[in-house]
Amino acid sequence: MSDTLRRPAEITYAAEIEALKAVDDHPKPQGWVLSPQSVITYVMGGKAGSVEISAKYVGNRRLIETAVATLATDRALLLLGVPGTAKSWVSEHLAAAISGNSTLVIQCTAGTDENQVRYGWNYAQLLAHGPSREALVPTPLFRAMESGKLCRLEELTRMGSDVQDTLITVLSEKMLPIPELNDAVFANRGFNVIATANDRDKGVNELSAALKRRFNVVVLPLPDDMDEEIAIVTKRVGEMANSLDLPAPKNVAEEVTRLLSIFRELRSGETLDGKTTLKKPSGNLSTAEAIAVTVGGLSHAAYFNKGTLSAYSLAPNVIGAVLKDPVQDKVVLEEYLETVLKKRRDYSDYYQALTELV
Amino acid sequence: MAAPVSYFGIRHHGPGSARRLVEALDEVRPHEVLIEGPADLSHLLPMLASPQIKPPVALLGYPANMPEKTVFWPFAEYSPEYRAVVWAVQNSVPVRFIDLPVYWRIEPDAQDPIEPEAGEGDPAETEEQQTLEQEATDTSGQKHQANSLSGDPIGVLAELAGYEDGESWWQDVIEENPAPGPVFEAVEQAITALRAQEFELSEREAAREAHMRLEIRKTVKDTDGPVAVVCGAWHVPALKAKHAAKDDRALLKGAPKQKISATWAPWTSPRLSFASGYGAGVAAPGWNQHLWTADDDTKVTRWVARIARALRGQGQVVSTASLIEAERLATSLASIRRRPQPGYEELRDAAVSCLCFGNGLIWQTIATELLIGSETGEIPDDVPMAPLLEDLQRQQKKAKLKPEALERDLSLDLRSDSGLFRSTLLHRLTILSVPWGRPLDPGKSRGTFRERWMLAWEPEYAVELVENLIYGATIEQAASGRLQAKLEDCRELGPLADLVFNAMTAQLPEAAARGVQLLGDRAGQTSDCNELLSALPALADILRYGAARELDTVQLGTLFERIATQGALALPYAVRGLDTETSEAMRAKIQAVNNAIGLLDDLKDLQQAWQNALHAIVDEAHANRLISGLAARLLYEADLMTSDNAVDLLARMLSPGTETKDAAAFFAGFLEGAGQRLLYDEGLRACVDAWLIGLEEDAFTEHLPLFRRVFSQMDKSERRRLMDALFG
Repeated sequence: MSDTLRRPAEITYAAEIEALKAVDDHPKPQGWVLSPQSVITYVMGGKAGSVEISAKYVGNRRLIETAVATLATDRALLLLGVPGTAKSWVSEHLAAAISGNSTLVIQCTAGTDENQVRYGWNYAQLLAHGPSREALVPTPLFRAMESGKLCRLEELTRMGSDVQDTLITVLSEKMLPIPELNDAVFANRGFNVIATANDRDKGVNELSAALKRRFNVVVLPLPDDMDEEIAIVTKRVGEMANSLDLPAPKNVAEEVTRLLSIFRELRSGETLDGKTTLKKPSGNLSTAEAIAVTVGGLSHAAYFNKGTLSAYSLAPNVIGAVLKDPVQDKVVLEEYLETVLKKRRDYSDYYQALTELV
Repeated sequence: MAAPVSYFGIRHHGPGSARRLVEALDEVRPHEVLIEGPADLSHLLPMLASPQIKPPVALLGYPANMPEKTVFWPFAEYSPEYRAVVWAVQNSVPVRFIDLPVYWRIEPDAQDPIEPEAGEGDPAETEEQQTLEQEATDTSGQKHQANSLSGDPIGVLAELAGYEDGESWWQDVIEENPAPGPVFEAVEQAITALRAQEFELSEREAAREAHMRLEIRKTVKDTDGPVAVVCGAWHVPALKAKHAAKDDRALLKGAPKQKISATWAPWTSPRLSFASGYGAGVAAPGWNQHLWTADDDTKVTRWVARIARALRGQGQVVSTASLIEAERLATSLASIRRRPQPGYEELRDAAVSCLCFGNGLIWQTIATELLIGSETGEIPDDVPMAPLLEDLQRQQKKAKLKPEALERDLSLDLRSDSGLFRSTLLHRLTILSVPWGRPLDPGKSRGTFRERWMLAWEPEYAVELVENLIYGATIEQAASGRLQAKLEDCRELGPLADLVFNAMTAQLPEAAARGVQLLGDRAGQTSDCNELLSALPALADILRYGAARELDTVQLGTLFERIATQGALALPYAVRGLDTETSEAMRAKIQAVNNAIGLLDDLKDLQQAWQNALHAIVDEAHANRLISGLAARLLYEADLMTSDNAVDLLARMLSPGTETKDAAAFFAGFLEGAGQRLLYDEGLRACVDAWLIGLEEDAFTEHLPLFRRVFSQMDKSERRRLMDALFG
């Protein structure tokens, strides 16, 4: 039993990777631990000989096929999607299955600078001996190029655009120049980049066209199936309520169903019966937000509403999730309330609670 | 001596099998070619190879007295049947159809017409048509779901193998078969295995196969060279099987013989497709056409280039380098999916990932153009295109209207059956650009049970009418089809609402339903208040006068309420910062909508929402003053604003602190068309009087035309009374 809170995928699932390796008879691209077919089995689940491989990603197989096929060419992969769509999860598992190493990660933030992407300097060495390879501090990207592994860039779009563009040469020429030494790092076979990014969030820097076209983009969607999403939300809400010591009322599942139908209608831009098209608010109303809204509602219910989860405890948080833009989203929500919710008798409490707040 | 028979089991509209078929015919060099198709229309076949015919075209057969029961057999450039005919004619070999004659296809029951458009939404009928193979194709999505074995066995096999596109499967499995062998034998083996399963052959199917067997037998007896039979792959095993001629003949009893008319008609690629609203993975005419025209080595590259061209047409930036990447990704995907070459799906997934930045919506914008295409066939001028003209003659007889060149006045009472029938006919013809009748009072006709028309027939109308054959074989179908095509092209609520009104007056429920659906979709997308408002007057007219035409307006009522509510919500925001021109237009719209809503007394909620919107405009400091003036007056006239409030408001708006321009605009909005108000309301009068007197001379001169407009609308005695009131 190890004390590590969470171990990387290639260690947690080492047995599955070994089992797949043992029966893998498809050709492997150079530098890959598994063949592309086995990587897909690893991610989507299946069987390797007698060993059951668990499914890491539940969703469209085609998307994962496109992702793996991209990495098998020398193109970089960009996983795009709203928060909570398993982008990082997929990226970690792809790196684990392809390179056997998912730890070469650069966490991109607004504070990330070029030194954290390309290489930094050990200033003591630099002052003592002048510029040399020894004085260089390699970054995960640097090491991935040298060792022919996958490098993961988390939340690529949070990094400033000028820093993002450092990647252009790396991606197109597979080479990282070190002008100070009149040298360069040439990537070994097996090197590639998986980036994850969020296209509909505040505080992101749009990718430059030059960088964007060096990526193949796979968009990971929100769950298609309403029941699946209800199950995810109810489960996560239960867990979070537990850890926050909030008593979970009995009607959570019921309220989650109603809440999610509102979320899904606004998110998809049409009513669940498909009969009416709606306008979409600027926020993304993801599964993660539905969870947050419900947990907020639980807390409100526990402290202010005698433990009953109701439309009134949820409504303020719903407003917060929908009204990201005070003018535009307000019109969208008003329209939704007046044209859709008003006519539904079983949503009258939501209609009233939300109308009052708007 | 019996001649050897070669059976070529093809996939209807499959370019793969078309290509192999031509090769096989070149090799076998048959002395006669037999094709699955109505035997009694064989005489029309050679015309298909005429150079003036440009596919897609369709063969139409219909009972002479009932054109609405037309059966279609479409042919595309890549249809194996078409290639077979062309081959036969080029090689001077007799060619004929061997399937059951058309009259077998005509349902005696009037409730179940066999014609494409009627198939929509009726699964039983769809099924029926499908077993008549894909000949009876249509634009509804259900077709694909009901993709039965006998219709497209190749498609079913492909689906089972996880392919979305039957042609890619044909390519991968049949043509790239590692064990080389003749293609058609491989297909036959597959179908034989399929047919070995338990399944029930419908009576009609059995009769069809019996008829084909008999025809083949007859031909074999009379010919002393090889004979080629081109039929759907599904039928090959049954045609090859030995059956006694006596048994076959026994199956061919029962269908009442009818007089059949037939002709060629130009067709369009959307009508060839299984689904017009292309969802996912339906064999698409555009793709098939591409497979036929592009040669093998470059077909992937060319398809990617076509995708790029379509994307660029939509304003996307697509670089050549991205095309290379897309093709490489498709190849790599194919190898991961263990397919010998990239097919339709790989190319789509790669295009979405590389060219559309993973955004499926961008792909959707080009999907229709790319996959369905907009090709239209052509036929020679001398082909008789009778069904529409025949239908017109019958309808004219029924309506007791003769086509006369001399102008003639016609007054119709829509409450009588004959009046309604005539009006419907004239409206439908107008949709088909045959303006035989011109409505004399188009504006007023909406409001009454009467319509007045001016009739005058021009000879060229016959030509115009015949060109509509592409939309349908009867006037009703053609009008409906043409109107639907127009609806699909329409992007704005206002024109859409007008078209729906047209559909309603022309009694075309299907087109109207589609229009209502499109209106709903569009209303969901737009937030342009202007657009929302412009749809309302037409819709209100339909709601109010729908009764005269026995229309079901429930759905439309809901939609009206929704659009109006949306419009009311958006209105206070939409009236800010308008320039003179747009504010004038907006004023007319608000006035019209106000009238429309005011008359619909059963929609109290909506009226309330509308009044709230008007109040919001009056309270909105940034609202255009012309509009706020109008809103104030509408509220005042509806007694929703007291006289005292109105006077206060007017006084405030005309007070010296307000810029003269704004004050004049408010004045115009409030009083233009309602000058009489000044006679009855002393407060208002005093207010206006004070403002006018206080105006600087320049400003007064500048606004003279406005004053003239306001006061000249009053008649002489009113003006005198106003003078008396002021100076009296």
